[in-house]
Amino acid sequence: MKIKISRRKGIDILGSGSLSDLAFLLIVFFIVIAMFNINKGFILGLPQKNSAKILNVKDILRINLNEKGEVFLKENVVPIEEVEREIKDILTINPNLTVLLKIHPDVNYQKVVSVVEAVRKLNVENFSFSMLKKGEKFR
Amino acid sequence: MKIHRKTRIAPFIPINSMSDIAFLLLIFIMLISLINYKKVIKIDYPEAEYKETTQADKNFEIWIDYDGVIYYKGYIIDTPTLEEKIVDAITKDPKTRIHIIADKNTKYKNVNGVIEILKLLQHRAVSLVVKGN
Repeated sequence: MKIKISRRKGIDILGSGSLSDLAFLLIVFFIVIAMFNINKGFILGLPQKNSAKILNVKDILRINLNEKGEVFLKENVVPIEEVEREIKDILTINPNLTVLLKIHPDVNYQKVVSVVEAVRKLNVENFSFSMLKKGEKFR
Repeated sequence: MKIHRKTRIAPFIPINSMSDIAFLLLIFIMLISLINYKKVIKIDYPEAEYKETTQADKNFEIWIDYDGVIYYKGYIIDTPTLEEKIVDAITKDPKTRIHIIADKNTKYKNVNGVIEILKLLQHRAVSLVVKGN
C-alpha cells in the first residue's frame, strides 16, 4: 500500500506576493511627485546697470502695457492674443528688431507674462523690459 | 535492479527578495524627496502655453504672493535680507539660477522690486516661472 505523505505548505499570512507591486506603485508615485518640482517658464536676460547700446531707431519696437493690461503697439491697442502675430509680421520686414517693453507698475503680472511669452515664442534676440517710472509717460 | 527515477524540479524565478529590494528603493526615494523638500506658498501661477524648462542644478526661488509679500524658503523675507541671500548664493555658485515665482494677479511693481535687486547685483539672467502642465 502506498502511503501518501501530505507535505505541509507554508501559509502566507501577510500575502507578500502583492507587497512588491504595492512598493513599486509607491515608487512610481514618488517619481511622479518629484517631477512636479521642475520649474518651467522663461529665462530673461537682464540689462546691465548703466550699460548703453547704440541702436538704429528703425529697429526699435516699443510695446507699452498700461494699468488696464492693454497692449499698445505703435500707438495702437492690440489684443494680447494678437501681439505674437503683429510682432511676427514686423519681424519678417525687420529681422534685427529690438523689442522694448514698457510696463505700468499697477498692471497684473499675468499680462506681462503673456507679452513675454509672445516675444520668447518668436525668439526675438533683442528684448528688453522695464517698468514705467514715476512721472514718466508712455512713448 | 532498482531504477533511480529523477524527479524534475520545475524551474522558477526566486521572487521572495523582490519586496525587500522594492522597499529599499522606496525608502531611498523617500529620503531623496525629503532632501528636495521645499515649502510652497499658496499662489496662483501665471499661465502660458509656450514655456521652457528653467530648472538648473542650483536654484534660488523667490516667491511673491498677491499682496507683494516676498518669501524665501517658505518664510517672509525683507528686501535687504533677500539681497544678502542672493549674494551668498551667487558667491557660492555663480551658476545659480534665480527663479521668480509670483502670483498672476499681483501688481508688476512687486515683481519689479526683485528684478531691480538682480540688476543691481549685475545678475544676468532670471527665470519667470509659470504654471507647469
